[in-house]
Amino acid sequence: MHPPPHTSFWIALLVGIASGSVGPFILLRRMALVGDALSHVALPGIALALIYHVDPFYGVIAFLIGAAFLVYWLEGRSRVPPDAIVGLLFTASLAIGILMIPNEDVIESLFGAFPTLSLPLLFVILLAAAVLSALCFWLAKRFLFLIVSPDLARVHGLGRGYDLALLLIFAMIVALGIKLVGTLLMGALTIIPASIAKNLAPNMRQYVILSAVFGGAISVAGVWLAESFRFLPGPAIVLLGVGLFVLSLPFARRAA
Amino acid sequence: MADTTVLTVENLSVTLDGLSVLHNVSFTLKEGEAFAVLGPNGAGKTVLFRALLGLLPHAGLVQWRPDIKIGYVPQRFAVDRSAPISALEFFLLQSPDFWRPSAAFTDQLDEELRLMGLNRNVLRKGLGELSGGETQRVLIASALLQKPGVLLLDEPTAAVDAGFEETVYALLRRVQMERGTALLLISHDLSVVYRYAQRVLCLDRSVVCQGPPVEALNPEALATLYGEAGFYQHEHGPGHERGPGHRH
Repeated sequence: MHPPPHTSFWIALLVGIASGSVGPFILLRRMALVGDALSHVALPGIALALIYHVDPFYGVIAFLIGAAFLVYWLEGRSRVPPDAIVGLLFTASLAIGILMIPNEDVIESLFGAFPTLSLPLLFVILLAAAVLSALCFWLAKRFLFLIVSPDLARVHGLGRGYDLALLLIFAMIVALGIKLVGTLLMGALTIIPASIAKNLAPNMRQYVILSAVFGGAISVAGVWLAESFRFLPGPAIVLLGVGLFVLSLPFARRAA
Repeated sequence: MADTTVLTVENLSVTLDGLSVLHNVSFTLKEGEAFAVLGPNGAGKTVLFRALLGLLPHAGLVQWRPDIKIGYVPQRFAVDRSAPISALEFFLLQSPDFWRPSAAFTDQLDEELRLMGLNRNVLRKGLGELSGGETQRVLIASALLQKPGVLLLDEPTAAVDAGFEETVYALLRRVQMERGTALLLISHDLSVVYRYAQRVLCLDRSVVCQGPPVEALNPEALATLYGEAGFYQHEHGPGHERGPGHRH
């Protein structure tokens, strides 16, 4: 069975752009590793969905949104360093997911595949990716304010609600891309375009735009490579991105 | 006579993790005056500021005049120096439109840059490329965008090269004179307080002294403030028998 090729390209383009749009804020908040680990939480969601015969997408989105609230709650408790807890909990969920998922579905869950989707679900995913990208641009100023000076931002009336909004946007974008890129690699797709763009962009506005462009371009090119050479799309996208990141290194401005 | 008080603080206390870090602090801030908060490290100066700004839970009264606009100048940016954020974008955080700023906003920004003696070229620099002096002036200019009636400055010269401290205080005095902006500033530097503040509050978890610097900063007050810096100050205040000088 061969799924319609356009499906993967459209998902790659729009989810790639969305990943690139949210990436700079995740990276500047030094949440790259938390974000990466967060995508692992999707695995038990996939397992439960498979057991109850619903589309894995719904299991993924439920578990990721739950994980976003959990990270938000942990960040609010100043006495507990969230990294260790996030690391342990999310790795544990990876382990649980692996035990629960039938063997024939494990590789696809971890590394993605060319998705077969009903037309309405495809439409929902594409629309959601477009809306989430637009939200990143619209909220950019507020996200950035909280990154540059949290105290000053709070004096200007920006509350922790925006931290939660960023986490939720991030979790939903990860959920949208998981079928194509897989739970192990989807977190990386949000970090890679932003890492490349950071080496090239002179300022924040160009940083976000460049990152979105790279996200879309790398994902589409990765899907094309995967189709041409019969790779899995997830590893093809991630390796292409990492290759471009290495090429971008000489352009990195010296960090003082 | 019109009431010129912009801030009234009465019996302000802050407890963090069960530890009392500010106890019964009371003072008022008047329109257009320069008011310094002086104290050793760990005296609760920054905690006081954060409580005044509503960033920390506290007991007691903090009452700003209802129409007053508050400009807050933090010590530094919270991002690492490699972040690609330009100085212009830092100012744009206060623009209604981040992606396409209006001409009105740019004009106002130019005015604040001029007041701070900054060249427009500074706008293209990344936040991590600014010198200590430029950073401080950018932070002050940004706080001035709202045309505040009072500026809160937390050690405004902490990250500035020694020779440049004078310039920052001269610029602040200019803001105070030209705009009638009240300055509430934290400092640990006695000479700054003597030269630039009309009134001073000495703080070591509770109020040690208060008033015009020449009167308030008497030998006993200074001994209490700096001679016993390692001690917890009981509420009996200064005057009990612990000679200055030990525990240095």
